[in-house]
Amino acid sequence: MSSAKVEAYARALVEIAQAEGGLDRVEDELFRMARAFESNDQLRATLSDTTIPAERRQQVVEQLLGGKASATTIQLVTLIVAAGQVRDLPAIIDVVVREASQGKSQSLAEVRSAIALSDDQQKRLAAALTKATGKPVNLKVVIDPSVLGGLVATVGDDVIDDTVRTRLDQLKSLI
Amino acid sequence: MNLVIALLASEDPNVTHHWLLPETGEIIYGGLASVIVVGALVKFAGPMIKKSFAARTERIQKELDDAANAKVKATSDASAIRSALGDIASERSRILADADAQAAAVLSEGRARIAKEVADLEAKADADLAAAQGRSNDELRAEISLLAAKATPIVIAKTLTDQTKNELVESFIANVGAAR
Repeated sequence: MSSAKVEAYARALVEIAQAEGGLDRVEDELFRMARAFESNDQLRATLSDTTIPAERRQQVVEQLLGGKASATTIQLVTLIVAAGQVRDLPAIIDVVVREASQGKSQSLAEVRSAIALSDDQQKRLAAALTKATGKPVNLKVVIDPSVLGGLVATVGDDVIDDTVRTRLDQLKSLI
Repeated sequence: MNLVIALLASEDPNVTHHWLLPETGEIIYGGLASVIVVGALVKFAGPMIKKSFAARTERIQKELDDAANAKVKATSDASAIRSALGDIASERSRILADADAQAAAVLSEGRARIAKEVADLEAKADADLAAAQGRSNDELRAEISLLAAKATPIVIAKTLTDQTKNELVESFIANVGAAR
């Protein structure tokens, strides 16, 4: 899909979320959905399989997110699935999150962690990143066991990496 | 002449004066005839005989000279043969000495060559051994590094407790917050 099309779908989702209210929650749930979509091969294959009827794939999304996400989020994802744009779901959602952040005059800060962060940790981390980058951040935490330990934060073009995985890679290159 | 005839006429021709000696006339005639014959022989046959004797003498002398020359030549040949025998013995000794020297040189050269080849082979074997050892060490080191690289994340993942991970998160927050 072209970037213009991705942008168009993203703007549509943002407008729907704003119209429905609760953009912050929706874009957060969409962000988590996108990361799950990226990391789960079976989910990606199922939702991308055009031999499976769109209705069936929409049911999969509803079963997957039911009770875990807002109705608006579920409707937006099923909308993308029904439109046959599942392959670009992460890209569309990333634009949604970015635009939502810009709407709040924030920078998107994607943080990968081996463990879930508490609310307090997320608040202090957001404050630390805000202090480090000089502008408020919209913190998005992705649970990624491959980092082993520590955190890696991506804010715009800046990457702050203090993960065990990166240290091991550096050690491996030295060996 | 008349005397002769008278003598002849006065004597019986069938009777001699002595039982052993002939008549004087016969002696005279015989003597004369003998002188003539001998003279003729000396005059005509003498040179021939003398020449024959000279030729025979010359031939005998020649044979004697030839024999002497042959003896000298035989003596010379014998000397030459003896000398040649001496030369052969000397040559044999020289050839044997040369052969011994060459054999000794070949033996020495062969020993030196074999010693050098053995030294080269030992050096090559040592080098091959060292190279193989180096390769083995490198391969072992690489294998260990590979295994360590594969095992380390697994070991660390199993070793890191949630508390440690939480401490790493707190450390990150503290460091980022203190960075500026």
